[in-house]
Parts: sequence; C-alpha cells; structure tokens
Amino acid sequence: MITVQSAPESLTILIAEDSAADRMLLSSIVRRQGHQVLTAANGAEAVDVFRQQRPQLVLMDAMMPVMDGFAAAAQIKALAGETLVPIIFLTSLSENQALARCLEVGGDDFLAKPYNQVILAAKIKAMDRLRRLQATVVQQRDQIARHHEYLLNEQRVAKAVFDKVAHSGCLNAPNIRYLQSPYALFNGDLLLAAFTPAGDMHVLLGDFTGHGLPAAVGAMPLAEVFYGMTAKGYGLAETLREMNAKLKRILPVDMFCCATMLCLSFQNRSLEVWNGGMPDGYLHSIASGERTPLTARHLPLGVLSPQTFDDRTEVFPMALGDRVFLLSDGVIDTCDADEQLFGVQRLQQVFAANRQPDTLFEDIEQALRDFRGEARDDVSMVEVSLLEPAHANPPVPVYSDSGQSCPLDWSASFEFRAATLKRFNPLPYLLHLLQEVHGLRAQSGALYSVLAELYSNALEHGVLGLDSSLKRDVAGFTRYYQQRNARLDELKEGYVRVHLQVTPEGEGGCLAIGVEDSGKGFDVGQVLERPVDPGRLSGRGVNLVRQLGRNASWSDDGRSARVEFYWKALA
Amino acid sequence: MSVVTQLSPDGKKLTISVKGRFDFAKHQEFRKSYERPGTEVPPSSIVVDLKEATYLDSSALGMLLLLRDHAGGDDSDIRVVNSSSDVKKILAISNFDKLFDIS
Amino acid sequence: MTGEHLNPKVLSALREVMEDAYPQLLDTFLADSEERLQSLRKAEQTAQLEEVAHSFKGSSSNMGADRLAKLCHELESKAKTLSSLEILERVAAIDVEFKLVRPLYEAERQRSLADS
Repeated sequence: MITVQSAPESLTILIAEDSAADRMLLSSIVRRQGHQVLTAANGAEAVDVFRQQRPQLVLMDAMMPVMDGFAAAAQIKALAGETLVPIIFLTSLSENQALARCLEVGGDDFLAKPYNQVILAAKIKAMDRLRRLQATVVQQRDQIARHHEYLLNEQRVAKAVFDKVAHSGCLNAPNIRYLQSPYALFNGDLLLAAFTPAGDMHVLLGDFTGHGLPAAVGAMPLAEVFYGMTAKGYGLAETLREMNAKLKRILPVDMFCCATMLCLSFQNRSLEVWNGGMPDGYLHSIASGERTPLTARHLPLGVLSPQTFDDRTEVFPMALGDRVFLLSDGVIDTCDADEQLFGVQRLQQVFAANRQPDTLFEDIEQALRDFRGEARDDVSMVEVSLLEPAHANPPVPVYSDSGQSCPLDWSASFEFRAATLKRFNPLPYLLHLLQEVHGLRAQSGALYSVLAELYSNALEHGVLGLDSSLKRDVAGFTRYYQQRNARLDELKEGYVRVHLQVTPEGEGGCLAIGVEDSGKGFDVGQVLERPVDPGRLSGRGVNLVRQLGRNASWSDDGRSARVEFYWKALA
Repeated sequence: MSVVTQLSPDGKKLTISVKGRFDFAKHQEFRKSYERPGTEVPPSSIVVDLKEATYLDSSALGMLLLLRDHAGGDDSDIRVVNSSSDVKKILAISNFDKLFDIS
Repeated sequence: MTGEHLNPKVLSALREVMEDAYPQLLDTFLADSEERLQSLRKAEQTAQLEEVAHSFKGSSSNMGADRLAKLCHELESKAKTLSSLEILERVAAIDVEFKLVRPLYEAERQRSLADS
C-alpha cells in the first residue's frame, strides 16, 4: 500500500477560538482538508503558540478573553514581519465598525459562523496563494539585491583598475585645477592630462554615452592611447585619429565619447583645441577679460570611420596667466524644481560676476546650488593656466633595459618629401630613435623641443613659406593655421632633411642635429640681433634652440640649421 | 504608442515619428520600427519626425546612429525633421548635422 | 427528532467531519452551554450579556441548534434597549430551548456510539 503524502498545499494552521466545541469542530474540518492544526483558547495563548511554532495561517476568533482577537492579530502580524501570515477572522460581527477593526489590525479575510467547509477551503486556498506570492516577491527582491551587490563590486574593481591607468597622468600639476564628482567615472566623465616630451600639456575632458561599467570600459583604451602617444611626442591630430579609430573599432555602434582635447604650448604660447560634441569651453584672456568660446565643431569620438574622421584643430594665442576652462554638460543640464535648465546664459552671468579668477569653481558651484536647491554629484570642471614651465619637469620615462647594448657611434639621414610632409609627423619616431642612446634620455625634453622647433620652422617657414609675423593676434593665428593647412594640402614639391650624428666623446658622447629645408631661407643675422623677448608669439624660436642646445648655427641663408647635445658618462 | 511608423505606398520612404521623451526607454520600440520584416526592398529613404518629441538625450543620439548603421551607414539617406529649438541645439552641439539632414 | 430545533443536515455533516470524535464534540458543546447559561443568568452588565449571547449564538449555529441560535441573536442585538425584566424573560426562553434540545443531543450521542 502506498502512503499518500500530504497534499502539496498542506499548511500548519493556528486556530484561536475560546469556545471549546467550536474549536474542536474547526480543528477537525481543517485537519480533514489536509492541514496540520495548532490550537489556542485565547489571544495571549495564540500569540505564544505563534511565536514558538510559526504556523503559516491563522484562524482567529474576534472575541476572546485575556487578549482579544484584534490585539492578538496585531501582535502576530508584528512578529511575522516581512512574511505574510494570513489571518482569517472568525466572526459574525455585523457592524461595520467591528469589521473595519479587523482590517485595521491586519486581518486578511472573515469567516462567519456556522462554519461552511466549502467556503473555508476556498478561503484557505486563496490566502495560501497570496502567502506564496509574497514569499516569491521577497525571495526575488533578495536575489536582486545580491546581484546588485555583485554589480557594485564589479564597478569598484573597474574603478580601481582605471585609477591606476588614470594616475599615470599629471592632473596634479600646479597649473591644473579640476573638480570631478565622486561618481564622475560612472557617469562616463573622463579627465586626462599629460606632458609631452617638449613640456607642452595635453588635456582631455571626455563624456561617454551611458553610465556605469560600459562607460568605464571604454575609458581605459582611450586613456592608454592618450598617455602613450602624448609621451612619445605625437600631436593632437594624430592622437585624436588613433583614439577615434580605437573607439570606433571596439565600441558598439550606439556608444561614443564626446570630448574636448587641448594642447597648451608653453613655448609657443598657443592653445590648440579640438571639440567633438562637448559644451563650449572658454579661453579666458586675463589681459582683456574676454572669454572666447571653444565650440564643438566635430562629431564625438567613435562615430566616424578613420577615413572620414576630421582631425582639424583650431589654434589660439595664449598669454602667460591666461586660462582655459572646460566643463561637462552636468552644469548646463542642471534642472530646478520647474524643470528649467541652468543653461549657458546663467553660466555667462557667473563669469561676468566673477571677480577673482581663483574662485571661479566655487562661484559656479554656488550658483548651481542656489539654482537647484542642492548640490549635483555628476559635474566635471577643469581649468588649466599657462604658467612658466620652469618647475614643471616632465617625468623621465623609466626603462627596463640595462644600457649595455646601446648605439654610441652612428649617423642617420632622412629626407621627407612633399607627399610625406603632408601626412606624416616624424618627430615621435626620431625621438624614439634617439632615446636608444641612454645618455640622451635625461635630455629628452630639450631634445624634443629643439627637434620640434627646427622641424616646424623648416616645414612652415621654409617649405610652406608662411609668414610668422601673422601670429600677432587671434585673427592672425587663425589665418596662419588656415594658410598652413591649405598650403600643405596643395604641396607638390619640397623637402625637409634631418641628419643625426652620434659620436663618443670621452666617457660620454655628442649628438649633432642638422635640419635643412627647400625653402627660400631667412636673414639669420637680423633675427639673431633681435633682443630676447620672452613675450613674443612669433619668431623662429631661434633663441629656444640656442638656449636648449649647444653651438647652434645657421647657414645656407637660413635654410640649414645645426645644433649639438652633449652628455657625460652615466653614474 | 510613442513611436509611430508609416511606409509610403511605393514602399520607398519610411517615416518614423517619435512622441514625448526620446530617451533610453524608447530603445526597443525605436529599433522595432525600422527592423520590421515584410518589405522585400528596404526603404531607400527614412524620415525621423520629431515634431512631438519633447526631449532628446545621448541614448537617442545612439539610437539614431544605430538606425543609420542599419540603413547603410555612409550610403544611408536619413532626414530628421520638425525638431524643436531645444532638440536642434542638442543635435548642433554634437554636430550630428554632419551625418543627418536636420531641419 | 424535531427538525426545527435541531437541523438534521448539520448534524450529519458534523458526524461526517468529526468521525469518532463526534460524541466528544457533543459533550463539549453541552458542557460549554451550561456554563454560558450560568453567565447569562448572573450577568450584571449589558456588555457581558452581549458577549455571552454572541458566543452562544455562534456555537449553537455550528451545532445545528438553529432556534437556540436565533434566540441568542435577538438577545445580543437588543440587550441595550431591553429592561431588566425583558432580559430575564429572554434568558428564560433560552434556558427553555436549551433544555429542549439537550436530550436530543444526548440521544444523538447514544445513537452514534451504538453505530460505531
């Protein structure tokens, strides 16, 4: 004979009823329906039994001595907490008041006397369904909470990894000030800064679509390209091309990164800008008080294919003490209670009212607080000033090889002709080559600056024939760079030659750099005679070359330049 | 329905109208509107009508990029019409007029 | 068996549910009822009267003593408005009805024992 297990809906039911006969009868009815029965004769006993045995459903008489059904029900509901323990009141109370009281204390249903078995069974079944539903909801809620914890933890890990990548930069340089909200990364905001070998500074403020992990994941490859290429001496255009190509390749179609990238050149006193999809940045001229908006002229990174990507930048003059200010759209998009946007105009008002440039951030934050009624946690702002680079020494890269096998006696010559001049920047490669000579590594900065200066002079003033005196003011700067791009596009003939010669000298050595161009030359004597003026925007950087290298000389009517670098034995 | 589509009688032009907030919540609906099977020849031009769109965010920009990719990328012909001034501003900052014909 | 005092359908349903415990149920009911009658006679406040009458009503209806239940119901609902004399009368009526159904339950009890 097969023992039939109790029906799946078998519950443990507490019957609280002071009338002995009714209690007995109800117990039998309920047992016959396949359930386990617990009994209590008054309210207090009902609460005790519940506390000890935790039945799943309660049939409660309303009128009982010691503690009545209402009080007992209230206590049982409190003990049950989150778990739903249905309470069916046994009552033939007809007054609405009494019935209302049943509901007030948490009663879920009523059963009248005389007990109707069919109705009771139906009510128990219905209550049981509710009970299970509640249990499922709680279980799922807990599951969701657990998954949420996992996700949060993953984000924490992503952030920790990212912080290591991000901190190879120079955000702590004295001329940078920034404000980044604690959740910036997880809102997709990205702020990177690094020195070039020449001591110029590249800065990038980015804003990925989306939030959380997807945004953080896109940020890492972008940061790697930014830092890697900047350290090697690549310019804005090349770095942007590479970042765009990378993001286009790895991100899904609907993800992209709005970004503003800057190059502040201390030696050229210039600011180069590329803005793809970010709100206007501002170049603040301390002398005139004017703020020039740096408007988005490009699509965000990761949208266009490498063939259609537009890497054209704008160049502005920048005097010592001038500042560039960038912000994320969190500022403009701040809403007040009426869903009005803070907007660009209010920002302009803050600018106008700002008396102390050093308190600009605080002024903006205060304005946002006043507007919104509370602070926002996803705003990013950065301000970079042009200061004397005297103390800002870019860190010397650390290499792992021991230096035993570096080239000490060699020469190399390169000729870059028109087609190559148009599309190739040889400087990072040349610098990389020279860094194979360990003795030169400590002078990477100076080397790069001098090479860059000589090469750009050869290209721009020599081959392209541009007039540097154009770079007197903002309009002039724009015209100069427009002409540069136009002439470079049309270039059919011409060359720049670079000669490198490394020879040992005693325990150290000497590097001789020669740069020639196919241009018309210039009056060397006249330029060398001019007094050294650190404020000049234009000029052939002749003085820079003389200061950083040794034995600088020009020949062949200025078409040929030569300079030397020396190093002693390494300790 | 907050995303309504209409195909021209010759099946060559598909008009997608977006109503209310054009944001991430509309993702599924928007995709379905142009991924519909049934037409043997996909429409040669698409019009996204934003007359009743009140707001546009970066996920909407992403959705437009998905649409463009689906419609042939650089070979696609997509016009975004009836944008309010707020919406136009957002599209202008992101320079999306370089990819879409916006009016 | 007088149908109007004891509902035979209810009784047979009770018997089916209780099985071997049927006699015990009847005993319990009778004992409870004696106590209740005592309380009714001694009751000094209306609230007490109402409570006991209410409880007695519930039990009686469960046990199929429909007329008894009805009398209890009337007492319960009118207790506040009745004079002391009227209350005494009604309690007496309940007493009478109980005394009538009591032997019927006892007979029922005997019958079930014999059948088992």
